[in-house]
Parts: sequence; C-alpha cells; structure tokens
Amino acid sequence: MTDALNILLTQNFLIRALVVGVLVSLCCALLGVSLVLKRFSMIGDGLSHVGFGAMAIACVANIAPLYFALPIVLVAAFLLLRMNEKGKIKGDAAIALISTGALAVGVMVTSMTTGMNVDIYNYMFGSILTMSNDDVVITSVVSAVIISLFVLFYNEIFAVTFDESFARATGTRVSVYNMLIAGLTAVTIVIGMRMMGALLISSLIIFPAVTSMRLCKSFRSVIISSTFVSVLCFIAGLIFSVEYEAPTGASVVCVNICVLLLFTLIAKINSTVKSIHVKRFTVILTVIVFLTLICLPSAFSQAQLSKKEKLTVITTGFASYDFARQIVRDEGEVVMLLSPGEESHTYEPTPSDVVAVRECDVFVYGGGESEVWAERILSGSESTTTVVKMMDAVELHKHNHDENEHYHEESEHEEYDEHVWTSPVNAKLIVNEICDAVCSVDSYNEELYRLNAEKYLSQLDELDAQFRMLSENAEGKYVVIGDRFPLRYLMLEYSFDYMAAFPGCSAQVEVNPVTIAEINTCIKNDKIPVVFKVDLSSGTVARSISEETGANIDTLYSCHVISADDFENGETYISLMTRNINALKTAFGF
Amino acid sequence: MSLISCKNICLSYENNKVITDLSFTVEAGDYLCIVGENGSGKSTLVKAMLGLKETSSGHLHFGEGLKKGEVGYLPQQTTSQKDFPASVFEVVISGCVAGKRSIFYSEKHKSLAYENMKKLDIFHLRKKCFRELSGGQQQRVLLARALCATKKLLLLDEPVTGLDPVVTSELYSIIRSINRDYGITVIMVSHDLHSALKNASHILHLNKNKYFFGTTAEYTESEIYKSFSGGDCND
Repeated sequence: MTDALNILLTQNFLIRALVVGVLVSLCCALLGVSLVLKRFSMIGDGLSHVGFGAMAIACVANIAPLYFALPIVLVAAFLLLRMNEKGKIKGDAAIALISTGALAVGVMVTSMTTGMNVDIYNYMFGSILTMSNDDVVITSVVSAVIISLFVLFYNEIFAVTFDESFARATGTRVSVYNMLIAGLTAVTIVIGMRMMGALLISSLIIFPAVTSMRLCKSFRSVIISSTFVSVLCFIAGLIFSVEYEAPTGASVVCVNICVLLLFTLIAKINSTVKSIHVKRFTVILTVIVFLTLICLPSAFSQAQLSKKEKLTVITTGFASYDFARQIVRDEGEVVMLLSPGEESHTYEPTPSDVVAVRECDVFVYGGGESEVWAERILSGSESTTTVVKMMDAVELHKHNHDENEHYHEESEHEEYDEHVWTSPVNAKLIVNEICDAVCSVDSYNEELYRLNAEKYLSQLDELDAQFRMLSENAEGKYVVIGDRFPLRYLMLEYSFDYMAAFPGCSAQVEVNPVTIAEINTCIKNDKIPVVFKVDLSSGTVARSISEETGANIDTLYSCHVISADDFENGETYISLMTRNINALKTAFGF
Repeated sequence: MSLISCKNICLSYENNKVITDLSFTVEAGDYLCIVGENGSGKSTLVKAMLGLKETSSGHLHFGEGLKKGEVGYLPQQTTSQKDFPASVFEVVISGCVAGKRSIFYSEKHKSLAYENMKKLDIFHLRKKCFRELSGGQQQRVLLARALCATKKLLLLDEPVTGLDPVVTSELYSIIRSINRDYGITVIMVSHDLHSALKNASHILHLNKNKYFFGTTAEYTESEIYKSFSGGDCND
C-alpha cells in the first residue's frame, strides 16, 4: 500500500490523474443512475462515439478538441433525445445509427491523415496519465457545475426518471429536465473521454449504477452508493495500474466488473436468507471485501521506487536501446520501454513507466508521431533527466519525399518520418548524441564510454560500407515492400529505389488498392523475385501480393521493436541490419 | 361553474380523428367513469384533460380555480417502474414536485406525504422498496402520490389492470372513500363496466362517433348501454 500511495501522492502527474478521475467518476455515477433507469444507457455509449468522431475532426482541422467536441456532442445528445421522444426511429436503432455513423466518420478522417493518429488513439482509449494543469482546472469547473445542477434538481430528476407521464401530467416540464440530463451527460462524456477514452467512458456511467441497484432499495441510496462505488473503483483501478503496470482505464473497468459481481452475489444471498442479522452481516462483509479488493493489489506490492546508484538509461525502442547498451555496457542499466514484440504505434506508458522516465538519468526517444506521450511526460516535469531526441540528432526526411521514389503516394500531410535510425549514417550521429548525454551525467566513467562508443562507431562504419557496396551494384534495381514503410532513411541514404504499399509507418487501417495493383504489375513486368514485409507485421498485404505474383516473401527489420525471440537470442542493431543486407542481396538477385 | 366543461371538442391521435364533437361536464364531487371499447379515444381524452394534448377544436375548460398541473394522475404502469429502486416515501413525495417552490421539499410537503400514506394505509411501508411491493400495494402508493399532487381532482387510467379480484375491490372502495369522504372529484378510465355502474355517479361512454354522457341511472336505461353490455344483461 505504502509504495503505491507513495508514488500516487508524490508524483504530480498521478495527483492530477487522481483529481480528474475522481471528479469524472463522481459526475458519471450521478448521471448514470438516471440514465440506466430511464433505459438510456446506450445514449452514453452513442455519445462517446460521437465524441470520438468530433475529436478526430478537431485533431485533423487543428482545433482545440474539447471546444470542438463539446457543442457537437451536446447537439447529438439533444438529437438522440428528440428521436426517442418523436419515436420515428426507435431509440436503440437511433443510437446505433448515430454512434456507428460518428465512428465511421472518425475512422475516415483519421485515415486521411498520417500524422496525428496517436492523439486520436488517445481519445479512443484515454490517456489519464498525461493530464495537464489546464485539464484539471477545466474538469474541476465543469464537474462542480454538473454536481451542483444535479443536487439542485435532484427531486425533479427523480420525478422525471421514475414516471415521466405523471411528472408531465402534474405540470413538470419534463422535456426541460430530459434535456438537462442529456446535456449533463454529454458534457461529462466529453471531459471523461480524455481520461477513459471513447470506448470505455460509458462503462463509468453504467457500472456503478447497475452495481448499486443490486443492493440498494431507494433512489437516494442508489445515488449515494454509486458515487462511492464509482470513486472507490476508480482509485482502486488507478492503484492497481500503478502496481501492476496495467493500462489505467481498463483497470478501472475491471475493478468495476469485480464489484458488480460481488454485489450480485450478495443480492443473491440476501434474497435467499430471511434473517435480518445475516443480512446485516452480509452488508458488513461486502464493505470488508470491497475494501480488501482495493487494498489487495497493494498488499502484494511490486512497484519499487528504484534506489539507483548506477547510471540508468531509458529508451523507447530497440535501436536506441542497443546503441545505449553498446556505450554503457556494464557500467549502468539500460531499459527499453517497448517490450519485445509490443506494438509501437499504440503504446501507452503505464504509471511506473512515467515515474521511471522522470527519474532516470538519460532518456532517449525518437520524437515522432507515435511518441507524443513522451513529450507530455517531459513537459512540466521537474525531473533532472537528460533527454536525447533522436530526430533532433539527424537531418529529417518527410514521409513523402519524392526524389528517389519509384512511386510516390498521394497525401497532403507532410510529417517527418521518425524511424531515423534505420540508416547507419544516422545511427552514428545518434550514438554520438547518446554518448555525450551519458558522459555529461556520469563523467566518472567518461573515458570508458567514449572508448565503447569509438569501437561501436567503427562497427557502424563497416555496416555503412557494406550497404554502399550493395548500393553501387544495385543500379536499375528496386525494392518492393508490401507493408508499412519504416525504412525511408535507409533507402534514401543508399539511393535504393523502392515501392511501398503504405506511404509511412503510421497505423493506417486500410491499404490503397490502386497502389497494390501497381505493385503487382511492376513485379510481374520486371520479374521481381522478392516482396518484403516488415518484421512483427502480420504481413497480410505482402502475402496477398505474393499470392498474386508468385514473388517470395522476405523480411526487413526496422529495429523499432524487436521480436521476443530475437531479443532472447541477443540480436543487435548490427546483426539485424546485416540480415537486411542479405535479404536485399537476394532481392536484387546477387 | 363546473370543474371541467367540455364543449364540442375534437381530438385526434396520430392524425386520425378519434373523438369528434364531444360535450360533457364534471361537477365538483362527481365520480365519473369513462368506459368504451379499445381505440375509442379514452386515453386520448385523458391526455387532453391533463393538458398534454391540444384539442383540434372545441373548448375544454377548467373551472373552480383548478389549474393545469393540479390534477392527481394515476397513469397506467410502465415497465420501467417495475424494477425501479425507490422507497415508498420517495415515490409518494414526488407527487409534490410540481408544487414546490424551493430546491428541496419543505416540512409541509413531507407532512402531506405522511398524511396521504396514512389515508391509504401504507404508512408502515414507507421505507420499503417500491419494486418489492405487491401490485395492489404499488397502486396504493401511486394513488397516494396522486393525492399529493391535488386537492380537487383525481384522474385514474385503468387503475385495476392486472390486480386480482380481492385487491381490485379493495382499491375500488379506497377510491370511493376518497371521493366521498375527502370530496375529491374522481375521473376513472375503466374496462370494468359492472364496478363502474356500482361506484360511479356519472358515466361517459365513448364509442366510434357515438357518445353517451349522463348519470349512472340514465346510462343503464340507454340504448348504447344495452347494445354494449349485450349478453351480460342477465347479471
């Protein structure tokens, strides 16, 4: 307990997460009861998808997402309500229409860009750990308004929720209060989305209410119980995610599931048992089990605030990890955040990752679109970490640089490619940067680090020479990559001509069929023997090209993330790049 | 002046005219039963009397200082109420919601709720959960709520649907005593013609374009009654 609490209360970013989370949970719990009882649960879900669509558009159009999404979600809420009342389209169908429609628009807009996918991904799954001070202020103000409106109109909300026709008949302005509930829900969802994500926010609305309804017998007790359940589940989920390095949003929902099951079980026992004493006993038992559930993760505490004496270097991907490893060797600890085999573009830091980054000596990251979170962690931090941004160490290329491309794809968005290390020449620049950073932190071992770096640089020179030799013989040849394309810097450095199925490496969902058709024609016409996939990709596009053309599939390594097997076997940047050389030789028919 | 006076009103439901040219009056203290076949416009008429529906023509007038919203209404039960977690007290006092001026209920409202629960003999149930009560008890709770909303007029929409005979007759006698002892005018939509004849002072019979309005005694003599009750005349 103490460790987790220690981390929770000493790290400002976690305190911010805690404040925002508790407030959002509170609002969700209050509104959830009314929504669930009015059979409006799915409105919350529908609105969160609308919110996602709006956020996607806002990201692309470069408008502040919150201010753009809020009015749109509000309008959608009123629209849903109207559809429900008018009854032209049945409520559930209306919600499904609007929610899937908005989701489709969101995905559509997302696919038109290559740059901001990660921001949008954040709105899908939430990123509670990257709350800024502004977020805290906005959330506090908005939830204060929501909570006071709810308290002010508590009796009216009860009357409207319990029996709309009676309330209407006795002169209560039912539609006004329905709009109030829908409006408050819309606002709650928009502010909650940043934290929980569009996919999970509606669970915060529904779970506590349903859970409390298992046991509570009056409206007021349901409201009170669900605020407690909601807030406690959030705190428990947050502690759990700190302890076990689990994603926060999903942890909160999982705790909610457990509590729901627990309450259901107790309701079952209560309905079979008649004795009032036993009933009281079970209620007390609930509270105890509930509290234990929250404390349990902490009891088996794993998280430790590292007491470091040695130098620690944290890198995001494998290439930089290997570079740092070659320089530091036994004198310090090098940690890679992306564990072997993990999907790089959708990575979210866990609380302990954030703490680790802030407390390490040197942090190396790419700085591209998939690492927006890194900048958020570092901004406003009072940490003393020395930071190396690889993209600052080299000369950058845009995603759609057309000089040497056999084909270039259409896209107006010009984003810099983040996979700078794929060229050995860049690798040398990065190694120098890392070496400087490490030496500045640990000057005692400077001589050793410089020596290690020197040795490693000469190995990289050798690699460079091999690529150059390959390049000289590759006149008129070109490489076909039926996959995402993280190897731009490698290709451009050695003037390899290439065709790629995707313009870049972003998590774009669909492949353009025209591009594939062109690739197929070229392979057939020029009798290209090999179509490449990138390591750790599913290779579906390469496979379909191979089936169409008969070209063999081979793998190129981006060194962004390493596979678990390769990591076990101690592969390095150089060994993986040597594989690339051999693969290219085969492809060129040498 | 009458409590409610209807003059040549026409009502339509989803663009179909269901009631044309209907006139009747309700005096304070009356017990009016509205009977008729399904689809004859009973519920639409109730909505109009509650002010939830505009008349397409004619006049529907409230008299004796009765304002819209001062009608105690007992709606047909909806499915969502069946599993609603609310205590009896919470349900009953929600009848005061339209009348309250402050943010929360005042002591006056609370004592009104207590009084009405006592009237209907559900005071001992006030902390119980509404959804766990029997059908008859639930109707009494909703009746107590309706009494909280009015001092003059109760509008009941098929209050005995789904109740067993014993509970039904209990509920009827409660409604009768509300009418007689507390002087509250009762308008009830009912399928149960026999009880209507037994309890009501006036009958409004709605049939496709054929209406009857008069005292119960007049009604039993009318053509429309004879054709409507048909073979049941022997009872």
